[in-house]
Amino acid sequence: MSLVDLMSTAKPNFELRDRILLKLGRKDLVNCYQCIKCTSGCTALKLLELKPHEIVKLVNLGLVEDLPSSDIIWTCVTCLKCVQRCPQKASPYHVIIALRNLAVERGAKVPEGYLKIVSQILESGLAEPPQKIVTRKMETVDRESAKLPKIKPPKQTFQAAFMKAMEEK
Amino acid sequence: MARIGVYVCHCGSNIAGVVDVEKVVEFAKTLPDVAIAKHYAYMCSEQGQQIVQDDIKDYKLDRIVIATCSPRMHEETFRRTVEEAGLNPYLIEIVNLREQVSWAHTHEPEKATKKAEALVRMGVARVKLLEPLEKHKIRVEKGVLVVGGGIAGIQASIDLANAGFRVYLVEKSSSIGGKMAQLDKTFPTMDCSMCILAPKMLDCAHHPNVQLLTCSEVKEVKGSVGNFKVTVLKKPRYVDEKKCTGCMICSDNCPAEAQSEFDECIGVRKAIYVPFMQAVPRVPVIDMESCVECGLCEKVCPTHAVNRAQKPEEIELNVGAIVVSTGFDVFDPSAIPQYGYKRFKNVITSMELERLVCASGPTGGHLTRLSDGKIPRSIAFIQCVGSRDKRFHEYCCRVGCMVTLKQAILAREKIPGDLKIYTCFIDLRAFGKGYEEFYGRARDMDIDFVAGLPSEIHCAADGSLYFDVYDRGINKLLEVHADMVVLATGLVPSGDLWKISALLHASRSADGFLLEAHPKLRPLESAVAGVFLAGVCQGPKDIPDTVAQASGAAAKVIDLLSSGEIDIEPLKAVVDKDLCSGCRICESICPFVAIEMKPEFVKGEEKLMAEVAEAVCQGCGLCGSACPTGAVKIQQYGNKQVVTQVQAALAKTCSDGGG
Amino acid sequence: MKIAVYWGCCIQANQFAYEISLRATLPKLGIELVDLSESVCCGDPVKSVNDFAADFLAVRVLAQANLTGLDNLLVPCNRCHFTLSEAQDNMKKKPQSAQKIINLLKEEGLEYNPNIKIWHTINLLHDHVGLEKITKAAKKPFRGLKVATHVGCQLIRYGDLGRADDAENPRKLDELIEAIGAEAVDYAEKLDCCGAALMRSHPDSALSLAGSKLKAVQGLNVAGLVVSCPDCGLMFDVKQKDAGTIVGAKFDVPVVYYTQLLGLAMGIDSKKLGLQLNQSPAEKLLAKIST
Repeated sequence: MSLVDLMSTAKPNFELRDRILLKLGRKDLVNCYQCIKCTSGCTALKLLELKPHEIVKLVNLGLVEDLPSSDIIWTCVTCLKCVQRCPQKASPYHVIIALRNLAVERGAKVPEGYLKIVSQILESGLAEPPQKIVTRKMETVDRESAKLPKIKPPKQTFQAAFMKAMEEK
Repeated sequence: MARIGVYVCHCGSNIAGVVDVEKVVEFAKTLPDVAIAKHYAYMCSEQGQQIVQDDIKDYKLDRIVIATCSPRMHEETFRRTVEEAGLNPYLIEIVNLREQVSWAHTHEPEKATKKAEALVRMGVARVKLLEPLEKHKIRVEKGVLVVGGGIAGIQASIDLANAGFRVYLVEKSSSIGGKMAQLDKTFPTMDCSMCILAPKMLDCAHHPNVQLLTCSEVKEVKGSVGNFKVTVLKKPRYVDEKKCTGCMICSDNCPAEAQSEFDECIGVRKAIYVPFMQAVPRVPVIDMESCVECGLCEKVCPTHAVNRAQKPEEIELNVGAIVVSTGFDVFDPSAIPQYGYKRFKNVITSMELERLVCASGPTGGHLTRLSDGKIPRSIAFIQCVGSRDKRFHEYCCRVGCMVTLKQAILAREKIPGDLKIYTCFIDLRAFGKGYEEFYGRARDMDIDFVAGLPSEIHCAADGSLYFDVYDRGINKLLEVHADMVVLATGLVPSGDLWKISALLHASRSADGFLLEAHPKLRPLESAVAGVFLAGVCQGPKDIPDTVAQASGAAAKVIDLLSSGEIDIEPLKAVVDKDLCSGCRICESICPFVAIEMKPEFVKGEEKLMAEVAEAVCQGCGLCGSACPTGAVKIQQYGNKQVVTQVQAALAKTCSDGGG
Repeated sequence: MKIAVYWGCCIQANQFAYEISLRATLPKLGIELVDLSESVCCGDPVKSVNDFAADFLAVRVLAQANLTGLDNLLVPCNRCHFTLSEAQDNMKKKPQSAQKIINLLKEEGLEYNPNIKIWHTINLLHDHVGLEKITKAAKKPFRGLKVATHVGCQLIRYGDLGRADDAENPRKLDELIEAIGAEAVDYAEKLDCCGAALMRSHPDSALSLAGSKLKAVQGLNVAGLVVSCPDCGLMFDVKQKDAGTIVGAKFDVPVVYYTQLLGLAMGIDSKKLGLQLNQSPAEKLLAKIST
């Protein structure tokens, strides 16, 4: 018997919480005393309503069932201001990254862009292939015409290694 | 042939919960020369002690081993116990079965019991080789050195002086009073700080038993409890204290100005100055760095008290005890650039605000902005700046919340009409007597409490400030505009506390303040005998607690020195002159400077030999282990006693036959 | 000095101007760039999907750098610099995961060298080359030219990791600008984020963040905005028009890489610095310089 969120009837999921804490390399809870500095300075708060302090507290209380499948965890801009300024070194950014990883693991909705990039890397080694750019003077330039060295693709062994790495949880 | 009594304490379940005490007792009975072995729930209790005393008589015991908690807890107690029963108090051995066994090996009871047996075996072997020793008394100086002339030092000095002790109050600045002199009002009563401080300052200075040494610092401390030899360096103030009448004509005429440290560098002072009008002693000091050497002060002084040729003076004092009351520094928020301190003129610290609202301050008590002298129509307070922060100081500064409440109330009272006041906090702590009521008073004064801290502060073109802060009470992101921002900066250990710490060998705790002997049971003294702690130098606290601690420290000193003599433990180093070769290794290795080489006549020749100053020696044993000839020995810790313990540790007798 | 260089994906994909200007200026300051034998992502975008795989990719880049035999690695992109630095730190702090990564590298015949020093353009120029040398190299220093700097987020945070500049008061880029005779102005939004990381999931919000910052910079009446990261470059330079659309403003802010400005000060032809490739009105800045 622990607690219940009466608004949503959600109960804590301690096993999932412990998995999150394990991913963060922690044995105990995240040491947060809700000073709110992270949220006050959060780049993503005004536009996307991301509240890092809230996510940390939900994790500590174990009310994490809905977090990996939520949209909010994908709004973090990774500016790292919260990590820099937290007086207790609680690092909400790392908590969010851990939640994102769990979302992928559980097959929850992940913004397409991320999954596309993973395939791209698998295929070519790069997150995006070299492009042709159009200048202000409407000229088309690519690496070759810009006299830049050719891009060297990874050797054959890369794909298997990367796929193996992706299988780690 | 000795007759040893062995007593194994349960210590409630502290020891017996892990160690099989009955087994240990049975094992003890098998050891040679053990006449009686028993176990009991609480050896330190009256009944426990009675058992030992009765057994000494009934079984004619001449050595006692008590296997119990750390000797630091009850060794003294048990010494008295056996002494009352007619046995020399130094013929007992305490074996630590708690800190070293049951608490260290809580989850391995079998191994713990074996270790307990081994330790008892060692104790029994050693106790046989102990020699009867006597404490003896030394005369003590009935003088006390108080370092630091803030409210803590002042209170301790008054109490000690009233009790008949000679007090030397050393203060590094030119006046006593400390940080309390800079405050306007004090919470929760809103007493004017200087009004309650000044009478105490005068009582202290005028007391016949108090000698004030301002502009002074402790340079050296030798000796030990009861007999400290202190060298105080009195720096020149360039004004003769005996001739000066405090008329301040010199200061009025001085053309040179400098930033006033007392006014937190907001206001100015002259090169020849007293830091504040109620300074004690009311004798100015010349700050040579800002002095332009015009000589006017010398010319206008009616009593010719100005003496630019004054030299530093060294004063030797003999005291029996030292009270450290050196106070604190205020956290410098320049270390948090995103809050804008020093970048934006209207971001100030609580101490700077204190000077602005104080009638004796640089603005005559008018609360105005530093950038343009205008009255602020909105003030924001930010709590925990530099405190509760793993990047700066992890502790809570204890007074920040109350200071802000006080300043918020003062601002409301000082500025009639429109004034928005916001306080941004994590937790609001109002724990003392009258403090919660004070918080209630603030809540009644239209002060907005924002439950959250801002991440950064920005400045607009007109010098006013703005910042975003999320309030977790209403779950909204607020943009706060304030004409002035006050950073509630915490109390931090003084920058030069390391000096006092080194001079007195007084350790500091992890937070940087001076370490008390025991946080709950002995909060008024350091671990160094004869050195007592009073005020914030031991940890952040408010004025009521500071005054209480100061009087408490004074009482401890009175307790120590009032009889005029104290007992010296005989567990010190002694030198066998027959064996001393005069090599001086012990002299160089002693961390307490307790060994001196003295000339002795040996076979008609004069030789230098080591001599231990018993009162200074702490019995640490370094000299004994370093001495190449074995001339230096620590009483009860000679080679024989130590080696026999080692041999007993390695012996194979145990109740199960294991090692 | 010889230094290995890891460009990352963004620079090689479309931020050619940064690469061109670095290749043009550094050799003249005594730095020889040695390319790695492979171009593989540092793992930054993979962090959100699988942070172990991300660390693997980052450490693999360091292993590639090890193949050059050089102990120093230049990483001109802020995000790559952060990713590689944090991965290097994780190799110390997470020994179990470190061992798995080392094993994976072994399968490819690669070795991890923990002693590689990771540099960024900013601290390589400021700390290693030094301001004096740069001032000497600036044959045509810009007197009276005022610019705003955007040093970015992942280059300066988080301090505990050891970054290229101070997180709350980063001065190195400003000092580098002063070293070539120009002036870097201070402004409240200096430490605000460009929003690049949101482009792949919340493009409107990303552009809104970039737009807010551009609004602030435009209001400063400076000759241009100087950046040091290809992601920031993409947001402020390439996406300037789109950002303007989102926040309802018309932007006209020249955005250049520091190395482009440095090259101009050193007397290098603007074409050899990739200034024709900037999407923002770089000619406005060029005009101010030549007057």
